[in-house]
Amino acid sequence: MNSKSIRNLFTAPMLVSFLVFGTMPFWIDAIGLYQYLGLEVMIWVIFALAVNLLLGYTGLPSFGHGAFLGIGAYAFGLTQFNIAANLWVSLFGAVAATAVLGGLVAAFISHRRGIYFALMTIACAQIFFFIASKWTDVTGGEDGLLNIQRLPLDLGLAEISIKSNFNLYYLCFAAYVIIVVGMWRLVNSPFGKIITAIKQNDSRVAFLGYNVWLYKWIIFTLSCAISGLAGALFAMAQEGAYINIMSLQWSGIVILIVLIGGGFISFWGPVLGVIFYFLARDILGAYTEAWLLWFGLIFMLMVMFKPEGLAGIWQDAQLMFGRRKEAPQACPEPNHAGGD
Amino acid sequence: MVDFLLNLLPHLLNGVALGLLFALLSLGFMLIIGVMEVINLAHGSLFALGAYFAVMLMGQDGGIPLAFMQSYYELPAVPRYIIALIVAPALVAVVGMGLEICLRRTYGKDPLYGLLLTFGAALVLEEVIREIWGPAEYFLPLPKAIRGGFFFGDMIYSNYRIFAAVFAMAMIGLLWAFLNRTPYGAVIKAGAHDSEMVRVLGYNLSRLRLYVFAFGAALAAIAGIIMAPIWGVRPHVGVDAVIPAFVVIVLGGVGSFWGAVSAGLLVGMVVALTAAFLTEWSLLSMYLLLLVVVTFRSRGFAGKASALEA
Repeated sequence: MNSKSIRNLFTAPMLVSFLVFGTMPFWIDAIGLYQYLGLEVMIWVIFALAVNLLLGYTGLPSFGHGAFLGIGAYAFGLTQFNIAANLWVSLFGAVAATAVLGGLVAAFISHRRGIYFALMTIACAQIFFFIASKWTDVTGGEDGLLNIQRLPLDLGLAEISIKSNFNLYYLCFAAYVIIVVGMWRLVNSPFGKIITAIKQNDSRVAFLGYNVWLYKWIIFTLSCAISGLAGALFAMAQEGAYINIMSLQWSGIVILIVLIGGGFISFWGPVLGVIFYFLARDILGAYTEAWLLWFGLIFMLMVMFKPEGLAGIWQDAQLMFGRRKEAPQACPEPNHAGGD
Repeated sequence: MVDFLLNLLPHLLNGVALGLLFALLSLGFMLIIGVMEVINLAHGSLFALGAYFAVMLMGQDGGIPLAFMQSYYELPAVPRYIIALIVAPALVAVVGMGLEICLRRTYGKDPLYGLLLTFGAALVLEEVIREIWGPAEYFLPLPKAIRGGFFFGDMIYSNYRIFAAVFAMAMIGLLWAFLNRTPYGAVIKAGAHDSEMVRVLGYNLSRLRLYVFAFGAALAAIAGIIMAPIWGVRPHVGVDAVIPAFVVIVLGGVGSFWGAVSAGLLVGMVVALTAAFLTEWSLLSMYLLLLVVVTFRSRGFAGKASALEA
């Protein structure tokens, strides 16, 4: 691999994120936060990146993605209980189950776009939500699926326990690294160009001879599979799978996180959004019970005045301080996805 | 067989009452989609807010603990109920106007921004309700005339459901007459068809949008007040209401008055009948119905092409 292809594989913001997240467990206590928060941030970053693959890159607003996070969590628990108590098997079970169900949903909705797409994802997610909340024998219903184990990480030569939040964090971090590198590669590949084109004008892509339906189906299924992985990690973090993450409200909140971060204009928007959300939860939450009220107001202001989100503010700041040359993609058109 | 049908009758009547209320709720939702091209996810919160304002105006548990309100609460229940039915929607209409002013910045952009802004508003309104009234459930006191039940054959049937069905039917009729028999209705329909052209013809489009949003919000509030004794009044009721509204609109087709009414009735019937036989699954049936219908008829029963497909 020559140096140019290495440069294409890794970018400066990516390395910064690896540095920050890679060292987080060592300084997070020092700044007054706690290890479990880091774990939550890492898992939700993976989930938000998966959502942004649809929302930011393909222009498909999935308002029901929380369902797939939940399905991943339940599938992880059920594989662990019923098939094999092995980490790899259970993770595979979670990803496979969400990919299959996501693929099924995608088959129903891939010919749609815009708001109708959003409404159909809500309907499908609500169906999964009701099944999960009523099929008590399998999912535990309102109580959730309890006692999910943090299975030991079997690397062939050695077996590492991930019972501590610290060790589990590094498993999540490893997943993050793989997903970020893979996703960056994907969105900058010819495939990525086509999904971005679908966002801008899907009829024109169809006229060029591409099978738009198939591209939408692939990207939706892929996004669901990654959400399923995040769900499996979340099940281990919480040591259980609960119904609340499948609710419509959570699906909405993840969209809100992606947008606040600036998923429409930047690959890194969802990452910023997740950090912002969890910091807001802990800082505002320390002062008031009704922190969601203030978070909602911040969100409304953001949609009104800066729909490009935190990433947009960052780009503006870079322009203002005259670092125009280094500024990544000054975003000549509002709908351009793909700056770094 | 006759027994079975007789047993079914109350459920069918429930279905009609529920369906008409769904239709009323969705018509407000549809007016807003038509003129503003915005999916108002806060519609359910406005519905809930209407119910809370009505509880406040009816007194008892949720009343305002101020001296001058106490003499008002001593009025008989019927005038208080009528006042609540008028004043609460008017208050909600004012909230709706505030929301519309926020929404102005999203016009002409991707319709997704309007959807997201109203989602944020729904979150905020629900938290505001929690702050003011707390998480506990309230019950809307009713005048004697519409409480209780009556015997139909050897079955008891609730007076209130009959009242709710008749009231909703009357409101739907009035709304139809307003939209089709008055010049204001003509402007609203024209605005839904082509808002730029309405502006060119010299109507003040911003004011039209403001009033239509307020009107849609008031319809949501009326539906909320009528639904309150059936569903109870709690902060989360907004989410329970907005989802049937959008299901009805997608089923009936955007832009079709009678499409929405018939879809509302169908959804109400399906929910009520599944509730009769499979209580646990009653809400699921609504989504399955939606998936089946939309798979075969992508714009619902009577929908036209609209901004939502962009």
